Amino acid sequence: MALLEVKDLDVRFAVRGGDLKALRGISFSLDRGERLGLVGESGAGKSVAAFSILNLIARPGYIAGGEILLEGKNLAAMSERELRKIRGNRIAMIFQDPMMTLNPVLSIGTQMVEALKAHRRISTRAAREIALTKLRKVQLPSPEKRLDQYPHELSGGMRQRVIIAIALLLEPEIIIADEPTTALDVTIQAEIMALLLELCEQDNVALMLISHDLGVVSQVTQRMLVMYSGRIIEQGPTREIINDAQHPYTQGLIKALPQMGEPGARLFQIPGSMPSLNNVPSGCPFHPRCEFATDQCRQAMPGYVRSGNVDVACYEVSNLIEQERLIRIQEQDS
Amino acid sequence: MTSKSTPLVDIRGLEKKFDLSGNFLEQLSFEGGRLHRKQEAVHAINGVDLQIQKGEALCIVGESGCGKSTIARTVMGLLTPTAGEIYYEGRRIDQLRGKELLPYRRKMQMIFQNPYASLNPRMTIRQTLEEPIRFHHPDWSRMAIDNKIQEVMTSVGIDADWGGRFGHEFSGGQRQRIAIARALAVDPEFIVADEPISALDVSIQAQVLNLLVDAQKTRNLTYLFITHDLAVVEHFGTRVAVMYLGRVCELANTKTLFSTPRHPYTQALLSAIPRLEDDRPSHIRLQGEVPTPVELPSGCVFHSRCPYANDRCRQEIPKLIVTDDGTQVACHAVEEGRL
Repeated sequence: MALLEVKDLDVRFAVRGGDLKALRGISFSLDRGERLGLVGESGAGKSVAAFSILNLIARPGYIAGGEILLEGKNLAAMSERELRKIRGNRIAMIFQDPMMTLNPVLSIGTQMVEALKAHRRISTRAAREIALTKLRKVQLPSPEKRLDQYPHELSGGMRQRVIIAIALLLEPEIIIADEPTTALDVTIQAEIMALLLELCEQDNVALMLISHDLGVVSQVTQRMLVMYSGRIIEQGPTREIINDAQHPYTQGLIKALPQMGEPGARLFQIPGSMPSLNNVPSGCPFHPRCEFATDQCRQAMPGYVRSGNVDVACYEVSNLIEQERLIRIQEQDS
Repeated sequence: MTSKSTPLVDIRGLEKKFDLSGNFLEQLSFEGGRLHRKQEAVHAINGVDLQIQKGEALCIVGESGCGKSTIARTVMGLLTPTAGEIYYEGRRIDQLRGKELLPYRRKMQMIFQNPYASLNPRMTIRQTLEEPIRFHHPDWSRMAIDNKIQEVMTSVGIDADWGGRFGHEFSGGQRQRIAIARALAVDPEFIVADEPISALDVSIQAQVLNLLVDAQKTRNLTYLFITHDLAVVEHFGTRVAVMYLGRVCELANTKTLFSTPRHPYTQALLSAIPRLEDDRPSHIRLQGEVPTPVELPSGCVFHSRCPYANDRCRQEIPKLIVTDDGTQVACHAVEEGRL
């Protein structure tokens, strides 16, 4: 059984004039120790997906359907009390902006001890001891001193190390990291990413990495999901998708990267932009920007087809697969 | 490249400090029974020389706090330099005021990072584009202005019929196009773009980057392009200046820089780009973090994080030297052949 399994998750935001469908039928699973990437542009629903796993969607948002199974137990149906035992304890989260996550008026040590005491019956001294070992683990320079320092006394990179130490405090089975390095400089980003990868491998922690950066996802994760307008449009092994993307949107995203183009030449560009939630097109949400769009795409949402080890939601791909199958049958007949 | 001719923009010995200590009274402090006066400043740029040739795209890369945006703003005259000179086509412009500066304001235009902040929310797109044209060409007729607005809007791919709309009615990518249209409206020769695509999504970044490349070709523009994204530089730049703590540590042709980076900082920076390729190159891990620009380290600004640093690096500031392939590097290790 997968450690975490999300089935047909629907998340909506109730606003004047009806519900906005932020997630539409999201399904994926995460195994113990696996690293999963969640890729998409702003507004695709990546963060909503991450937040809804721990049922952290604030009003007017709500989970309208589907299940989130942690070893078979449905988090979507749990009470706030039960959820609190899981948040931070079995599933930890790392957010984009470390300054927003850390409380500016409490010292690093106080915040770490507080988290430990919330979940375990433990003395302050013992909690500080655990906090110290975690700060050492994330290679924070002079950790003893840091316990009594405040967030503003640390640099951006050090703060994100503290955040990772806090995420590791209760030895979670899953870490959900929502754009953990976006606010950091490239050299610091590379260090933090390497650290996160190392720690997850060491303790066999599953990592769900949310990022808009295909480069980061391709280097860190084993499997990836590509999201567009509240739907997963492609999912499978990261290498396979990067080397041979099936969905026209994923292909376009990869081709549009400056590193893929000839220097000085025009880059491949996907026309238009992601539709807003109150104006989602009918059928496949990508069809207005897709060069292969047909009437079929405009009418109904494509289901998933399998190509290699990759699941894709695209009529163009499924038609191609069907054609190939027919050709094979013809060849066999003749 | 014709490096012999006068560069379009010539920056010489540029320095910029931002005072932190406030007025005279605020600088005073009482310590050990005596009155002290303490002055503190952020040393944003510490002696930068750059020549920008006509028709090229010079990129400045570096991490936050290295002074790249300060250079952009100083060149544009939005900040006054603490020391140093800026020349445009051989004429010194950093001391010009008012009317004298006006023709240069037209020739030099700027594109900012955040299109949500750079467009006035209370002006329609037409008003936004009309203002600079009217300002620089007070003698133009209504017709001429309208034609110009139509021309720039079409050239950036915004429907000319949308002129009556406001900024908030457009997406981020469209807003950045409008910001570019505003810069192009007065037919500039030189454009300073400060992180113009950093706030945009990947698929939109490609659109805006293509637009900038097209505009360069059709309008014969020269760019000073500020970015932290090396992949964009590799694609876009003619030459690249790598900055660290207010100094240029390497200046090279884009191709040369990416194939043979010389400065240890450039090497670390290049190895840190997350690439799509399979074979994950082990990135060079730098010790520690960028020191604060308030108290600059002695000697080479990079020595505290440099794996090749020795005593000379800790004491003596390295000068830019020209290597065989034309690259300029400020590094004792390269100069001595240790690297």
